[in-house]
Amino acid sequence: MEKYQKIEKLGEGTYGIVYKAQNRETNEVVALKRIRLDNEEEGVPCTAIREISLLKELKHPNIVGLFDVLHTEKKLTLVFEFMDSDLKKFVDASGGDLDPLTVKHLLYQLLCGVAYCHRNRVLHRDLKPQNLLINKRGDLKLGDFGLARAFGIPVRSYSHEVVTLWYRAPDVLMGSRQYDTSIDLWSVGCIFAEMATGRPFFAGTSIDDQILHIFKIMGTPVDPQAAGPVPAAAATDGEGDGDRARRLWPGCTQLPDWRRSFPAYPGTPLEPLLPKLSSRGVDLLRRLLEYAPERRISAEQALQHPYFDELRTAGGGGGSGLG
Amino acid sequence: MRLSLRNPLLTPGQIAASPSQRRGLPAELESDMRAYGCHLVQAAGTVLRLPQPVMASAQVLLQRFYYVAALQDFPLLATVLGALFLACKVEESPQTIRNIINVLDIVVKRDRGLPEIVTDGYDTEYYGMKNDMVIAELQILRRLGFNVQVELPYGLLVNYLRSLELTDQQRVPQLAWNYLNDLLRTPVYLCFQPETIACGAIYLAAHECRVCLPTSPPWWSLFDANGEDVVMVAKATRAFYLRALPRVMPLTDDELQMQLAGTLDRHIEAARIAMHSKARGDDDEAGGEAAGKRDSRPATGHGSVDEVLKRASPAPKRGSAGARSPSPDRSRRSRRLPAAGSG
Repeated sequence: MEKYQKIEKLGEGTYGIVYKAQNRETNEVVALKRIRLDNEEEGVPCTAIREISLLKELKHPNIVGLFDVLHTEKKLTLVFEFMDSDLKKFVDASGGDLDPLTVKHLLYQLLCGVAYCHRNRVLHRDLKPQNLLINKRGDLKLGDFGLARAFGIPVRSYSHEVVTLWYRAPDVLMGSRQYDTSIDLWSVGCIFAEMATGRPFFAGTSIDDQILHIFKIMGTPVDPQAAGPVPAAAATDGEGDGDRARRLWPGCTQLPDWRRSFPAYPGTPLEPLLPKLSSRGVDLLRRLLEYAPERRISAEQALQHPYFDELRTAGGGGGSGLG
Repeated sequence: MRLSLRNPLLTPGQIAASPSQRRGLPAELESDMRAYGCHLVQAAGTVLRLPQPVMASAQVLLQRFYYVAALQDFPLLATVLGALFLACKVEESPQTIRNIINVLDIVVKRDRGLPEIVTDGYDTEYYGMKNDMVIAELQILRRLGFNVQVELPYGLLVNYLRSLELTDQQRVPQLAWNYLNDLLRTPVYLCFQPETIACGAIYLAAHECRVCLPTSPPWWSLFDANGEDVVMVAKATRAFYLRALPRVMPLTDDELQMQLAGTLDRHIEAARIAMHSKARGDDDEAGGEAAGKRDSRPATGHGSVDEVLKRASPAPKRGSAGARSPSPDRSRRSRRLPAAGSG
């Protein structure tokens, strides 16, 4: 361990303490994540195994670098690239008022990182502002792969309890176990809206409450395949066709935890909720928060969205994830 | 597009000389020990009702491990425990240490004809195994450099069978599936990528069932596989069935020494006689000294596999698309062909 000089404690991670430290030879500043191995009933923590085995393979400017893994008798130490802050702190520090171009740069980098994971057949499954690391140069990198997993084809069901509630996709909230890359894109949508407003977009306190938060804004989904009359509210709401289309989700009534008793909310227009977003931005958000997982935009497609045209024509202008 | 999470494959140099062989272990014994270790994983996993991908991953990890470490340094039993424990975590089917140890212990005893007595969780044997298992897990992680993600061919097989319109066939899908399971006991998963392995299994299964598949262009080119490699996988599958799996293999350092000295079978037989008389309550001390230290503990906590199962956590729900061994491995002891699922 003498290779690194500890500078300060940064916090407690999911499975151990994180320190800021410096490499004595190269003076490089790193983050050390220490994992104790004294849990006799568990062995090496599951999250540590997944994080290391995946991060060792994923090398990308928008994914936090894992430089080394040090073993000793009683602990494992992961040596990570040092990042100054995370997106949650960054948004809080701005008083919830990020300028629109910064939001665009950060979202672009987030999508680059997610697209890279998905190309390599890795689901992150726990995207949230606290897991998105930011340095002084304005680079954004995906961190904390403790819940990530490599997926095979066909994608089969995974364990249930993943993705922090606020960023969890509605299909997962309603018990779907057949989820795929689309769950990460829902999280990206929630994070996008949070950057634009300075507040969590769907801040539920329980699974049921989370579902209702989503329905109130996006409208209660409507299954065109389901037999029986269309719920009264859906038939009578005075909204335009666009908002009705947004609520269509073929097969949603077949989800394990779908309930007929869900209140039928018409949904609210998104523009007034997101005054800082351009109409292109709102359009992209709508595609990210698409109910039907198979219709939700992919990371690769999202990067091509006109919302990012400004970055392409301006030729970058900050943020290493560009170009 | 480069997929960085592909399975690492062995170099020709690694295949030619494994660490165990470099340390003087006969090649045949090594390959039997590997196969037996994999059999233990599959048998224990079946009792634990683990999904097939968990058992398959554990077997690939075990095979990978013994290409970077020698059987003389890392006894088979500990590695089997560690690989199973690790694969359960990687594949998200967590199992308690106790379940894994108890079930594996019973499987070994059954293979050896020893009375199926469950360790009571407090004796030194149990603690020894637990300690070995936790250490083995870390050793596997270390030696493999945390390269423990395993890409498996089961999903591909299903997709390929579908696109070749073979899913309605009576025997081909089941046969091909069994080949995939049995090939885990060979180094094939370390020599070829999953696409090739799936094609090899289909190739042989179709051949066995006299089903013709398109040849111009050859069907496997549809799945990015190379014809020569596909045939090699099929040949390896055939070769595998020519050799019977021994029922007793050295699992610890001491047993490996005995195996090399040619005394292991006699030792197990003596232990068997001693333990059976003990289990019957004869309390005959005569066999005591012949039984090895593993077997000389008091026979507390009588039980059976069913009892272990009852104590085990409830079986995971069947996922609709989840790959799973089609039926429990009942033919394990007497026949080798095919090990899992032909029933």
